[in-house]
Amino acid sequence: MTEYWPWWLGALGLGGVSILYLLLIGRLLGVSGSWAKVVAWKENREQQKAAETLVEDTEAMENAFMAETLAEFGEDAIRELQAEKEGDTGGKAADIGELESATPWTAHLVFLLSMFLGAFLVAWFNGQFELRLDLSDTHTRIFGSLWEVWLALLIGGMMVGFGTQMAGGCTSGHGLSGCARLLPASLLATAVFMASAIFLSLLMEVMIR
Amino acid sequence: MNMRRVKQHLAYGVVGLVFGGVLTRIGFADYDELHKMFIFADLRMLYTFAGSVALTMVVYFLLNRRIPPQHKIIQPGTIPGSMLFGFGWAITGACPSLVFVQLGMGALPAVLTGIGIFAGVWLYRKAHSRFFGWDTGTCGV
Repeated sequence: MTEYWPWWLGALGLGGVSILYLLLIGRLLGVSGSWAKVVAWKENREQQKAAETLVEDTEAMENAFMAETLAEFGEDAIRELQAEKEGDTGGKAADIGELESATPWTAHLVFLLSMFLGAFLVAWFNGQFELRLDLSDTHTRIFGSLWEVWLALLIGGMMVGFGTQMAGGCTSGHGLSGCARLLPASLLATAVFMASAIFLSLLMEVMIR
Repeated sequence: MNMRRVKQHLAYGVVGLVFGGVLTRIGFADYDELHKMFIFADLRMLYTFAGSVALTMVVYFLLNRRIPPQHKIIQPGTIPGSMLFGFGWAITGACPSLVFVQLGMGALPAVLTGIGIFAGVWLYRKAHSRFFGWDTGTCGV
């Protein structure tokens, strides 16, 4: 059994990931948001398409206006228009950038799946990989037979999915990114989910004794 | 697919790989370790978490204005949602990212947790548009 990282190395690694996410992606780390995007992939795809058509439509409309202007007022008018346009391209570029910055749901799916791949590779090369039908010895000691373990995981998973969406964040979004900026909502959410997990864990520990 | 989108996918892929690997080496996805943290038998991972928040805080402070705004507000679902999540975390040992790490470390039933999370997120979306309708400010919008 390989030793896990000491706390300071883990803190450097985990803090490093949140900073890497900010630097490479330009947003703040939040995994439950990625889940939401992947689960709502259909809506996300439609939004993406709508944004793309809007950009195309804007270009098509602009071209049509240009042609119209050319026919009505001649080339001088076009030159004037273009000079005018150059003055406010800043605003326009920002608008289009905004539309394109909506991350496609497939990128979020890549994020989630590559977490699995990263964990697998590291576990494999460190000899931590172990195929098993239950979660861990302690988990089986608490929940009993395999069927009970599986049922607990399914129901517990639903609680995690529902709860994180309802709270608007999870360990990464509220706990790491939100707490790091001392957002009141994140501090509250983190305190509540840590306290709940501690309470139930202590209760389970007492019950199996 | 244009270059911009390829780059975007690559960025998410790289961060995901590192994230999964780091969580594996910390042991966050190991239920035994997590349970030991929750019953205060071993505080190593609690220190890890607190340390990473502190480090992130310092970097955010240094980057100051270049941090994108985050839409997180206290809303009617903050407390009940966090309670549900906390209980679910204690039962499954999985938060939305750890479930993939558990699977990567070879715990096959994490698939069931994953199905559960998917169902939970889906159910919340349905329930939200039907009954709640408040602003939850979920990450990454």
